Amino acid sequence: MFYELVSQLSDSTLYQSLPAFGVELVLCATIVIMLLCRIFSLTEKIDASYIAFIGVIVALIVLSPMKPWDVSEALDGIEIASPVRVPLGDLPSVEIFTGMLVYDGFAVMIKTILLVFLILFFAFVKITKITRTEENTDFFTLVLGATLGMCIMASANHMLTIFMGIEMASVPSYVMVAFMRGKKKSSEAALKYAIFGAGAAGVMLYGISLLSGMLNSAHIPTMAANLADIMSNSPDSSQLFVLGLGAMMLMVGLAFKLSAVPFHFWCPDVFEGATAEVNAFLSIASKAAALALLVRVAIGFSVLPTPTETPVAVAESPAVIEAPADEAELDANRFFLVSDEQTADDIADANVEVEAHGEEAVANSEELADPLSQVRYFMAMLIGFIAIITCTFGNLAAYAQTNIKRLLAYSTIAHAGYMMMAVPAAIALSAESPELAQAAVGGLAIYIAIYVFMNLGAFAVVAFVRDTSGSEEISDYAGMIGRSKIIAVCFTLILVSLVGLPPLAGFIGKFAIFASLAQGYSVTGQLYLLVLLIVGGLNSAISLYYYLRIVKVMTIDPEADDTAPMQRPLGMLQNSYLLLMTVPVALLIVDWEFLNVWVTGALAHLLVP
Amino acid sequence: MEWLTPDILTEPVGLSHFLAVGAFLFVTGAVCMATKRNTLGILMGIELVLNGANINFVAFASPYFREDNLGLDGHLMALFVIVLAAAEAAVALAIALNYYNNYATIDVDKANELKG
Repeated sequence: MFYELVSQLSDSTLYQSLPAFGVELVLCATIVIMLLCRIFSLTEKIDASYIAFIGVIVALIVLSPMKPWDVSEALDGIEIASPVRVPLGDLPSVEIFTGMLVYDGFAVMIKTILLVFLILFFAFVKITKITRTEENTDFFTLVLGATLGMCIMASANHMLTIFMGIEMASVPSYVMVAFMRGKKKSSEAALKYAIFGAGAAGVMLYGISLLSGMLNSAHIPTMAANLADIMSNSPDSSQLFVLGLGAMMLMVGLAFKLSAVPFHFWCPDVFEGATAEVNAFLSIASKAAALALLVRVAIGFSVLPTPTETPVAVAESPAVIEAPADEAELDANRFFLVSDEQTADDIADANVEVEAHGEEAVANSEELADPLSQVRYFMAMLIGFIAIITCTFGNLAAYAQTNIKRLLAYSTIAHAGYMMMAVPAAIALSAESPELAQAAVGGLAIYIAIYVFMNLGAFAVVAFVRDTSGSEEISDYAGMIGRSKIIAVCFTLILVSLVGLPPLAGFIGKFAIFASLAQGYSVTGQLYLLVLLIVGGLNSAISLYYYLRIVKVMTIDPEADDTAPMQRPLGMLQNSYLLLMTVPVALLIVDWEFLNVWVTGALAHLLVP
Repeated sequence: MEWLTPDILTEPVGLSHFLAVGAFLFVTGAVCMATKRNTLGILMGIELVLNGANINFVAFASPYFREDNLGLDGHLMALFVIVLAAAEAAVALAIALNYYNNYATIDVDKANELKG
């Protein structure tokens, strides 16, 4: 008995979980190797950045999808399939480590984006020489450690791994912000970041404790099933209140990672204090992982695990569950709250209450068939509302900025808002048409992939200008066209792409997200999707102004006497790096079908089994 | 005077009492984070919040209070959180020290060189 238990556990760990956990293992091994090299004083001979680079390449190779061991086979303990490479689209969704993590196409896709970003990022750091050679071990250990956390965020399937992933990604980031020792601003930025981050994590943990306690599980699919049970058994208002409170507190932690309003305060300060390289890491990798986690939580709570387990015949329409609170207060609870008041006012009228419940049951019979619909509505409203204010606030606040890094920080906030807009669309669509919901998440993924190049290019310009002129003020970009044509041209293209104007790549991303919003509206008829679409469009128009202001400064404004001079022209490496970032941004419109195919394949089994 | 003796004061100790302690710790920690100007005070507030959540986890996991409970998940999460809190505190203290080296203070109100 005991022997069987252990052998089953070890079989499922060794043959199923660990192979699917390869990327994280490789990243861990790389960190250990780097640290060992320093212990044995090898870092003087071997630059740690090369070890990190090789580690990421190996991780990419390991990542390419292997057939995870079939659970039933592994449990029988005899058959052990050999790893077979399967196309991304055929990758089933497999829970590993007893449900702690999930290995599926979505996780593979986000990890691929993260690792490709890391390779470009290493090249960036190498060119700008932000770290001295002896510091490389520290810096790259932190980068890889944070990436490890992000990989866990991307495949989280359990409240514990959500929290662990966020913390593992955050804690190294705090240190990276403080990495420029002796620079006063960076120590201040790091202090603010660490305190905000720790506070948000604490609130999120409390929310997780409420949610998992109420739902008697910390495993997201089980929580979803239990939530469906609660929602179909006419929950009382206190239950809904606690669930809603927990969901909102969980959202605090996610919003902090996304730098979504009202938890964005750290973002401009941290971006101004930290170096442009670290900013690039925070604004791309950290954001991609946070969005992946948001999608995981939103989809996880909206979809019941397997049709057979569902008590009612609801399984067909994966209901959305996540955010019971608001909607509970708004809509679902309209009824329950009323009945509560009744009980309080005149207890004698218990019969009335019963009647009321009965009426409601009749009135909401359709709703009851899908116990998670209220949750879905609440969740979509909550995320949609945050997306709207994030996007609008980011764009409006970017107007007044004089420091290029602060401006890009607000631009990052605004883009987080655009990207979050895809999530309500996916949630709303998940019940009616899982395929379209997958397409909505696919739009988000395309946006993230393009965003890698746009933002990396923008921060590369900032770093290169800082290296040659020592300034990060927008006014010192005056007359850039006469001083460095390549910076002026590349930066202009990247900024216009950030606005989202065709024919640049940013347009593809925005189009994908707005298209899914429009589709969501036409299929489900939910008005908030239309509102999101309109707000997104208006915001793109607003953002035109401040992005093009930089272009105007670079091209039209004459070089003033006090403009910081560029000490030397950009080197060969800098120029080619800028081109490497700009060319995809400029030319992706020619043929981006491959991106679409890749994303569609990766997401093929996110909702549809 | 019924409101003076709510159920929670008369019934035997159960889940709600533990949750009340957890909520008290959480609120104390949140107030501490919001009002303290000293970095160390804020970090202590964060520890209180984390421990409030831990009490919730352990209470929800206990088989003596509820038939359906969080089970081992709750205990494990509490253990992980204790470890993580230590790691986070170590990093935050190092950052505070770095800040002190530059500003000769750990008052967060003095951290106003960067304006948001």
